[in-house]
Amino acid sequence: MNQPVAPNPIPLDASYRKTPKWRKHIWGYLFLLPAAVIFIMFLWVPIVKGMFYSFYDIDFVKGNTFVGFDNYRTVFDDGDVWIAVKNTLYYMFLCIVIGFWVPILFAIAISELRRFQGFVRVAAYLPNVVPAVVLYGLWRWFYDPVGPINGFLTQTGAESISFLTDRAWSMISLVLMETWQQFGSAMLIYLAAVLSIPKDWYEAAEIDGAGIFRRIWHITLPSIRGLILLLFLLQLIGTSQGFQSQLALLDGGPNKATLTYALLIVKYATAKLDYGVASALGVLMFLVLGGLAVLQYRLNNKGGAGV
Amino acid sequence: MKKGFERGILSSYDYKKKGNWIGFSMMIVVVAAMVASMLYPILSALFNGFKANTEVNSFPPRFLPSEWHFGNWGEAWSYIELPQFLKNTLMIFGGNMVVTVLVLGMAAFSLSKLNVPYQKGIYFFFMITLFIPPSTYLIPNFLNLRDLGLLNSFAAFWLPAGASAFFLLLLKNFFDGIHYEMIEAARIDGASDWQTFIRIAVPLSIPIFATLAIFVFSTAWNEWFWPSLVMHSDSKYPLATAIYKYVISARRLDLNIRFAILSMVMLPPIVIFLLFQKFIMRGLHIGGVKG
Repeated sequence: MNQPVAPNPIPLDASYRKTPKWRKHIWGYLFLLPAAVIFIMFLWVPIVKGMFYSFYDIDFVKGNTFVGFDNYRTVFDDGDVWIAVKNTLYYMFLCIVIGFWVPILFAIAISELRRFQGFVRVAAYLPNVVPAVVLYGLWRWFYDPVGPINGFLTQTGAESISFLTDRAWSMISLVLMETWQQFGSAMLIYLAAVLSIPKDWYEAAEIDGAGIFRRIWHITLPSIRGLILLLFLLQLIGTSQGFQSQLALLDGGPNKATLTYALLIVKYATAKLDYGVASALGVLMFLVLGGLAVLQYRLNNKGGAGV
Repeated sequence: MKKGFERGILSSYDYKKKGNWIGFSMMIVVVAAMVASMLYPILSALFNGFKANTEVNSFPPRFLPSEWHFGNWGEAWSYIELPQFLKNTLMIFGGNMVVTVLVLGMAAFSLSKLNVPYQKGIYFFFMITLFIPPSTYLIPNFLNLRDLGLLNSFAAFWLPAGASAFFLLLLKNFFDGIHYEMIEAARIDGASDWQTFIRIAVPLSIPIFATLAIFVFSTAWNEWFWPSLVMHSDSKYPLATAIYKYVISARRLDLNIRFAILSMVMLPPIVIFLLFQKFIMRGLHIGGVKG
């Protein structure tokens, strides 16, 4: 509580003082009750159930049977799991190489715009509000062998690229598409931070003879370092769970080139109806990502983000 | 001395140097190219919806239609039962919003203003869920809804809508900004905690509810995968799932009609965004990086 507690203006009478603690706070707890019930029913129970189910063979008709570590054995024997892990790491890597620095760069550039800054912000954020399904339909056409990008490439004399069907390109194409859609929100967050840097710092640096790039390097970037770190971590956590565009555009193909770990979980559940193995995969993922989550938690507390 | 604008990284002195001007102009060109590449795909989707099908398929593609076929939209409207799916999406949105405001609003109010014992621990119990990656319990979550018998019902969306630590955080931060004196004053006037919540906290929180509404709306409008798992009949699919099933995955659907449908789905969120920019930007700032 960061509210300064005002001295109670009402003199407490004896009967009030005697009220048991629980009674005084009954409304406070009643207000919390629905949320607590819902959090337990729809978050904690599934999480615990997941761990539980990973040791069971789930059958909707015959009922569940305990199978010990069989599901985990299936996971480790399945060659696809290693392909999926590798693909996920590759996807995370590409998202950083292609997508991570773009919003930082544009935030700094846009902060220097004197006119049309509002318009540029809106334009940069606009793809964010395009629904995912529209995004898929649109970019499937863009990446088409006879779509606009290849049209442009062949007109300029370059070779056309099969963005989606070429194994070397498929993941890159997805990351480009997602960067197009998502960079705006990160950019706005960085922009707010860049704009809040006191202007006299630049003034002082300039008087000391620092050039433009040294000002950016020694003032702008260090000031938003905490934010960069936090967004980096959030991106790692987010991309490590990515599967929707891989599923929607390519269904993990061509030849498993975009089969990510989370997509494998989904496929075990929806295609093979093997919910036990899917739960086991989830538990394993939880163990790996737990480390990242702890880091995020500590960073969040340091940054004073309120949690 | 008040200048025309506050300085940024560059000072007015920097602008006078020729080398900087070239760099600055290049930067403007890059930003303009970025803006163009953001708008081009959106506009081309829109224009493709008005072309003749042969023109969408022509190679290399043109940006503007040579002939405007407004009839495409009529054909697109009747291709699938858009009103039915739209109604489902709005049902999900409405229910989610009510649950979010009531359940999380009450909890946030209690955490922020009612000073119950063990408050810190309770807050931690809610907030820790922010750090559990959702994909790890995606399938158990589905199984849980199945065990509860909620599959293929709107309740499968409405009830879990109250389990959002992020929205709870937004609401609590907002309530923290309401002066304690207001609550105190209501108490002195004899209001119960419930009356204080309904008569004081809720009316003061309209701005944050607007921000929440936009978040909730965009989730309801965008989410296609989860509903495709939970719902399994046409009468229950929300718009995004229906579009995925019947438009994106469709093999025999003319491209121009496809784009006309996609435009219809894309325009409402864009219009809402342009109208309510202020709330959305605020949400980004309050939510900080958690969005």
